[in-house]
Amino acid sequence: MDRMMRGINRFIREFKAIVKHPYFGYVFFGMMFLILLLLRNQGWVTISVINTAVIVMIYTVISLGFSLLLGFGGLASLGTAGFVGFGSFLMGYLHGVLNYSLGVTLVLSLSVALAIGLIVGFISLRIEGMYLAIITLGLGEILRQFFISYDTFTGGFSGRSFREFTLFGINFVSGDGKYFNMVYIIVVIMFVLAMIATINIIKSPTGRALLAMKNSDSAAQSMGISLIKYRLLAFVLSTVFALLGGMLYIMHTKFSYAPQWNLSFSLEILAAVIVGGAQSIFGIAIGVFLIFGLKISVLNYIPFFQANPALIVIFNGALIILVVMFYPGGLIRLLQTLKYIVVKRFGLLKQKWRRYRYGEDD
Amino acid sequence: MAKMIDRQLLKLLIILDERITTKNHFFSQYHTYLLDTWSTKKQMRLDDLKAAHAKAVCRMAYRMHVHCDDLDQEIEQRKLTIEEKFKWKHKALTQTLRRKNAKYPKKSNEHQTWFQAQEAHLHSLKLKRMERVVPTFVNANDSSVASQESLGAIEAKENAILSVKEQKIEAHYARKIASLNLRTEKKRQRLMLWEKKIKDWIHTIYQRNPKDDYGLGEDIILHVENLTMRFGGLVAVDQLSFDVKQGEIFGLIGPNGAGKTTVFNCITKFYRPAGGKMIFRKSPVDVIELNDYPVHRIVRQGIIRTFQNVELVWELSVIDNLLVAAHSRFHTGFFGQLLHIPKLRHEEAVLRQKAMHILERLGLLAYMNAIPYGLPYGILKRIELARTLMVDPKLIILDEPAAGLNDQETRELAGIIRDIRDQNDVTIFLVEHDMGLVMDICDTVCAISFGKKIAIGSPKEIQANKTVRDAYLGEE
Repeated sequence: MDRMMRGINRFIREFKAIVKHPYFGYVFFGMMFLILLLLRNQGWVTISVINTAVIVMIYTVISLGFSLLLGFGGLASLGTAGFVGFGSFLMGYLHGVLNYSLGVTLVLSLSVALAIGLIVGFISLRIEGMYLAIITLGLGEILRQFFISYDTFTGGFSGRSFREFTLFGINFVSGDGKYFNMVYIIVVIMFVLAMIATINIIKSPTGRALLAMKNSDSAAQSMGISLIKYRLLAFVLSTVFALLGGMLYIMHTKFSYAPQWNLSFSLEILAAVIVGGAQSIFGIAIGVFLIFGLKISVLNYIPFFQANPALIVIFNGALIILVVMFYPGGLIRLLQTLKYIVVKRFGLLKQKWRRYRYGEDD
Repeated sequence: MAKMIDRQLLKLLIILDERITTKNHFFSQYHTYLLDTWSTKKQMRLDDLKAAHAKAVCRMAYRMHVHCDDLDQEIEQRKLTIEEKFKWKHKALTQTLRRKNAKYPKKSNEHQTWFQAQEAHLHSLKLKRMERVVPTFVNANDSSVASQESLGAIEAKENAILSVKEQKIEAHYARKIASLNLRTEKKRQRLMLWEKKIKDWIHTIYQRNPKDDYGLGEDIILHVENLTMRFGGLVAVDQLSFDVKQGEIFGLIGPNGAGKTTVFNCITKFYRPAGGKMIFRKSPVDVIELNDYPVHRIVRQGIIRTFQNVELVWELSVIDNLLVAAHSRFHTGFFGQLLHIPKLRHEEAVLRQKAMHILERLGLLAYMNAIPYGLPYGILKRIELARTLMVDPKLIILDEPAAGLNDQETRELAGIIRDIRDQNDVTIFLVEHDMGLVMDICDTVCAISFGKKIAIGSPKEIQANKTVRDAYLGEE
């Protein structure tokens, strides 16, 4: 008996250590999404829920890169849509049309991301704040025009469709059940890896250097932080995340259309990051769900919004105004406040119950 | 051409040399860190063991009706806790009785009998628990035990067991430390080999193109000569020259707009001076020209500065702010950071411990995990000072350390600055408007006005100088 208790205690202790590990939350989050897939295959969950989950995960990957740039580096960029589009077309063209293997496509896309990130990073060395946002906006528009006019690469106005992908020599063709499941699993894995990579960067000297750079350039430099290195790094990281997001996007939707990657998409990503909380990973996931997921899963099924689709945008705008007015740190602050209130209320209830059960303390 | 290649090569080699020295530094630090943590762990284990054995001996003694204070106390404690528990239970029972009576006043007799029964039950339970508190061996028939062995013999036996266990623990840690020493020695030798190679290469290049030692005196750490800085047509610093001696507190004073902060910004390379030399003694044998280094590599040469208005990272806690300052001490690459490899964790542990020591020294340990936003100004200034100590600097440049502090805080700050100078073997170079502080702590004071030096000397000389008075108060 004693021995068994000791064993149980040890198990509880180790379980607590695992739960308190910073990665546990992210892996658990990913597991929940995998369970959702299982439920779907049992037929207990509708397809719109699964679609929402995939879109939220893909856009969270993009937003995580953006938050490294905005929330930590303090650099505003409006060219996200262009980079995401670039990623999707690279995947569609190199893997879908030219039949390059997935590894080669990945390496090529990463090198493209590196090149774009370096270009924008060098621009950012001279320009800051609003002006940087305008420059990156221009860059995004240039990319969009390029997508529209260069139709061997992007398919122009007819869009680039993506029918199949090959992994470890197995061909997944869209239409059979395996394709969807495989893409879903890949998206979940990338989502969890992106979150873990982000937390690792944040909790390391790089993340602290980015924050120092955001607070004060001169203080950062006097402490041995090279502005060139970290600005370039921030832009390269955000571009890599955006391109990966684009690749996942075309794998999921099987279609990418050039005019889709416009300013409004970049602004929506910006809104998601600000609504959720620019420095919190779970906050960003919440923000992405509110801005993108809510539209797909809930608002599209409400008759009022079905009649007036333009009001969805107004809903988003109102949300942003409310959040920025009352919770400038993002909705994650609201959750923290709620948690605090609940804990406090629970403590009070416990006290009250004690008083009721045992009488006034004398 | 060959000269140019040599110069580029030299630059590269010097960067490599810096990296290897930081690495070496880290290994020795990590070594001491591990030894520290292991020794505390070992002590804890030994203490636990000793306590357990003392308890065992106590129990043995109890068996022979020899009273032992520790065990007595423990039994007393357990009895008290049980009393407490049953007190609450009894209270709950009376409460229930009161509620029942209030609800059904007619059945009060029934309730009374119920209450008595419950009370009796509780009492019996309590007695049972109380009996169990005193260990069974006390009541057992122990004459046989007593006849077999005497108390001294038992104690001796227990002590023998204890000593064997202690020896085991000692041996375990000795083995650990020996293997650690072996490993670090191997690593250190490898690093030393590389360091020697790089030093040799640098030496050969210097043999080809002899190194300039700029004729710097032995006791001088910073030599500024004909420093000039222009902003458009305005000459902010004009042909300024001075020497800062090793281990002194050097004050730079002057009226508003005299160009004091500009001098600082030139030394730390925030501005590129229009002319002049700035020569810095990095180590007793190594003399460098600061104009050759970009701003973010100045800190690696051993110069760190603070700012006029506190420039901390407001989103990070105080200890993380100190780690930001130690940025140049980390040498894990980006991918290592992405994967959080053990090396990064070790570095972080070492530097965190160092930061804790510094915070403890400056009396900031209470604010360790606080966000600096909203802390008093005096504390913020002290955090900035703590930040400078993270990189083991040779020269600390303080830009108006007493600005915005009251008299009490200024006096404390003077003590801290002097303390840092004495204990850390650094030179302090400061700009200050608070003449009380300057005259109190500085060894040498240099007065400038409109970018030109007007006087240099000890505080008393400066106080007596007529030109300085004219510059501050205006000519009559």
